Amino acid sequence: MDNTTRYAAINAKLKAMESSMLTNSDYLKLMEFSTVEEVAEYLKKSTGYSRVLGNIDTASVHRGDLETVIKRSMIVNIDRIVHYFSGDYKAFIKALYAKYEIEEIKTIARAVYNKEDISKYRDSVFLGEYSGVDRSKVFAAKLVRDIIFAYESTELGRYLMPLIDNNLSENLFRLEMVLDLSYYSLLQRAWMKLSKSDIKVLETAQGLIADLLNLQWIYRGIKFYRLRPELLLNYTIHMGHRLDYGFIKKLCYSEGLEEFYKNAQQTKYSFLFKNDETTDIYMERRLDRHIYFELKALMKTKGMSIIATFAYILFIEFEARDIISIMEAIRYKIPKDEIKKFLIRTIREGA
Amino acid sequence: MAVEKMKVISIVGRLSDLDTVAKMVVLDGNVHMLNALSELNSNYFELEASEENIQAMQELSDLRPYSEKRDFGKDEEILKSFHRIFDIKTAVYDKFLCEDYSYEKISESLIEEYDSVSKTSEEIERKLAVIEKKQMHIQNMEYLQNTGIDVGTLTSMHFVEFKLIMLAKENYKKLKLNFENIPAVVLEVATVLNNVILVAFTPKPLVEEGDRIFESLNYQRLELPEGYTGIAEDIVKQLYREIEQENNDIEALKASTENFKKKYMEEAQRAYSLLQLEKKLELVKSEVAMGLNMFFLFGFIPIGKLQGFSRALKDRFREDIIIITEDVEKRRGGHAPPTKLKNNRLFKPFEAMVNMYGIPCYSELDPTPFFAVSYMLLFGAMFGDIGQGFVIFLGGLLVKHKLKRISLGGILARLGISSMFFGLLYGSIFGNEHIIHGLWVKPMENINLMLIGAIAFGVLLINIGYIYGIINTFRRRDMEECLFGKEGLAGFVFFWVLLLTVVSKVTGMFYFPTIISAVLLISMLVLMVFKQPLANILKGHRVLYEESPTDYYIESGFGIIETLLSIFSNILSFIRVGAFALNHVGLYIAFATMAQMMNSTVGGIAVLVLGNIVIIGLEGLIVFIQSLRLEYYELFSKYYSGYGVLYKPASLIKETGNDVL
Repeated sequence: MDNTTRYAAINAKLKAMESSMLTNSDYLKLMEFSTVEEVAEYLKKSTGYSRVLGNIDTASVHRGDLETVIKRSMIVNIDRIVHYFSGDYKAFIKALYAKYEIEEIKTIARAVYNKEDISKYRDSVFLGEYSGVDRSKVFAAKLVRDIIFAYESTELGRYLMPLIDNNLSENLFRLEMVLDLSYYSLLQRAWMKLSKSDIKVLETAQGLIADLLNLQWIYRGIKFYRLRPELLLNYTIHMGHRLDYGFIKKLCYSEGLEEFYKNAQQTKYSFLFKNDETTDIYMERRLDRHIYFELKALMKTKGMSIIATFAYILFIEFEARDIISIMEAIRYKIPKDEIKKFLIRTIREGA
Repeated sequence: MAVEKMKVISIVGRLSDLDTVAKMVVLDGNVHMLNALSELNSNYFELEASEENIQAMQELSDLRPYSEKRDFGKDEEILKSFHRIFDIKTAVYDKFLCEDYSYEKISESLIEEYDSVSKTSEEIERKLAVIEKKQMHIQNMEYLQNTGIDVGTLTSMHFVEFKLIMLAKENYKKLKLNFENIPAVVLEVATVLNNVILVAFTPKPLVEEGDRIFESLNYQRLELPEGYTGIAEDIVKQLYREIEQENNDIEALKASTENFKKKYMEEAQRAYSLLQLEKKLELVKSEVAMGLNMFFLFGFIPIGKLQGFSRALKDRFREDIIIITEDVEKRRGGHAPPTKLKNNRLFKPFEAMVNMYGIPCYSELDPTPFFAVSYMLLFGAMFGDIGQGFVIFLGGLLVKHKLKRISLGGILARLGISSMFFGLLYGSIFGNEHIIHGLWVKPMENINLMLIGAIAFGVLLINIGYIYGIINTFRRRDMEECLFGKEGLAGFVFFWVLLLTVVSKVTGMFYFPTIISAVLLISMLVLMVFKQPLANILKGHRVLYEESPTDYYIESGFGIIETLLSIFSNILSFIRVGAFALNHVGLYIAFATMAQMMNSTVGGIAVLVLGNIVIIGLEGLIVFIQSLRLEYYELFSKYYSGYGVLYKPASLIKETGNDVL
């Protein structure tokens, strides 16, 4: 099947679904509210979230519950797209779930490691969406290794099982790193089965993301963790778009932060490092915003490809994260102008 | 031949009797449990205000769910290991269930005995673990075969650590790209799937650093056996010898338990059966509501089984139990009654095919009889052949008795008989139409008759479909669909007027005034378009539309187009019955021609045999599917919703009658 026939229907559907995403004025209104209940009420009455909020009593909703509902709405939306694909394409879309499932595994593993009660994570919505893991096994975990064993027979098992053999002591850091890297590996494995043009556009898109994440990782590794260059290098993602392996290696082997800054300034991503106190606070947001604009640009030139779907899923994630940020900001009574700085989406006043 | 009638049974009894009642429910095996709390919430529970009911009525106000969940995990583990030691399969035996034994007593004594065998069993388990480990060692050593590496010497080096590791390919690539910075020498020895097996030599002072780097590549260390010398091949041989020794030891240990087995085997089986019963009881009890002294249990029970069961309860508990039965028709809310199909032996297997589409609703007509008859006729008409039908019949018996696929086998056997019947009508044996004289018609010589006949037969079936649909909607009290729906009365009249008009115009056999037909057709269409407001006016409702009128009219407008299209396509669809009957003959003619072209008799016969195999396998499958398609698409869509709930009584015996294909 050539790409025009494959994507004609799905892209039309995506356009329709995009129209139910939050608008600039929605964001402005949300930031005006002073309680989570008001946010919930607004989302239910006036936005596309009415579908998932239908049965929720907004007057007594809890912030955590609302977060769960918003995440669940991602699944609802993604599942609606999945129907348009079949075979390897379906598998690829499903693989995108792994990112969110991995985040939830990490949260739960951390709680297990700290001997906290993990029952509060029972409504983790993505857990099992990709891997099909037996959720009851995960929640029965007393040790981090129990979680790993729960995943033994799933797709993630082959990445996680080596952790059991080597390490008798519980090691959260390695688990997190393995999980993060496994996502890129399984994603790559899944997209390799797509058409050539789709592989190419995904390599560009995911390569851009990898560039940014690698920079962030190496920066943090040097500044905060003081990791050995070999380790830094091994934990980078090998699918860079603008930054090739040689350059990443050079960055990893930078002698100190100064040299790293000097090297990083040569890249297109120098905006991440302002060498002042804003660097750390806004890095995440700068990074996400940059991804947003790069993907928008890619969609303009390569619209008839998997990129529209890939970007849509990332954008609804951004939207979910922004809503959650707004709710948190409301909870901590942060003024509206401050909130805007922490959102991925650029909000224009009065538009 | 229908959906079996149900009643709701409510049992109120003393808490102390709960266990016994639950056991009776499970052993009786006819009660489809209802959650008591939700049942009490959604239905008004009518207790007559009499002296014996007074206590129950008081308790109704303060109910809680059954919450003492018992954990049988450990018991089950022990009983299973008994079965393992005795080398027998775990199974539930009916003969142990009907007795009045208490599970606690039996399991207690048995579990006490467990200590005496547990040593042996632990020894066996331990040896099994050793074997498993050695097998892992063998697997790891096999990676080193053909390398000539002397493992014994290398593992005992003083200053250099030698180890075998496994890396994912992508991670090995990372390692290779940074070889110059790694404090170890690494050698690739094998690749397995997506992994690479490596040997690594690390100077001992640098081991920690090296390991950290390997860790960051998510390596897996492959353990090597210690205390062996020589090359990999020799060590593997030695390990195999050791495993054999361990196996012999295990056999000896198992033999030593033989006496014990004689004494306790039956006891273990009894305990296991009772444990399974006990677990089922927990499930039953979890649906019960409990007051201070009484429990409330609700369930659906087939009417035929009600009397026996309630008498058994009454005999046992006399006035300590209150049993109330209620007709399902009177229920105001709560769960819909489950559907249990009841059909005679001829139709029974076809239930599986009906269930594949959906379970009939309790109030619906059971479509199975109509489905079975029409399916057999459709299949037979398309695949009429005495010989090939007989082969399918035999195949069906084989599937049923040898493969234990009761439904599939039963269906095939019945289809085979139908095929033979039509074979007799067509006069065809293994495709040959010259051996016997057909009783009715030879398809190839009467092509028009076959095609028109197929359509006529289709019209007959569609008619029955309409009638079923009207009855079903009437039973649901769905006046809108029943009177004005396109599968209801209006649709039916429309269908007939259209049919008569077309037949009279095309054949001229009779005169059907155009005016009358036009008036009828248009008025039926109008009825269908306005079905919802009309139905609501009839019912005296003030709200005429369930959604916005605009949406409603757009939808019903398109519905008209669909009605017109589907009437044509439904009818024409049945032409395939005739077409496949012809096709069946045609395929044989092709093979017969090829057989004639062969110069030898043996070759000719071989081609004919091959042809018959192809026809039975390929055409048989196609016709099977085409008939199913006609049933599901052309007929079920007219009258069958399939939204029912399967009848699943609480019982230990596996559910019967609902096996899948």
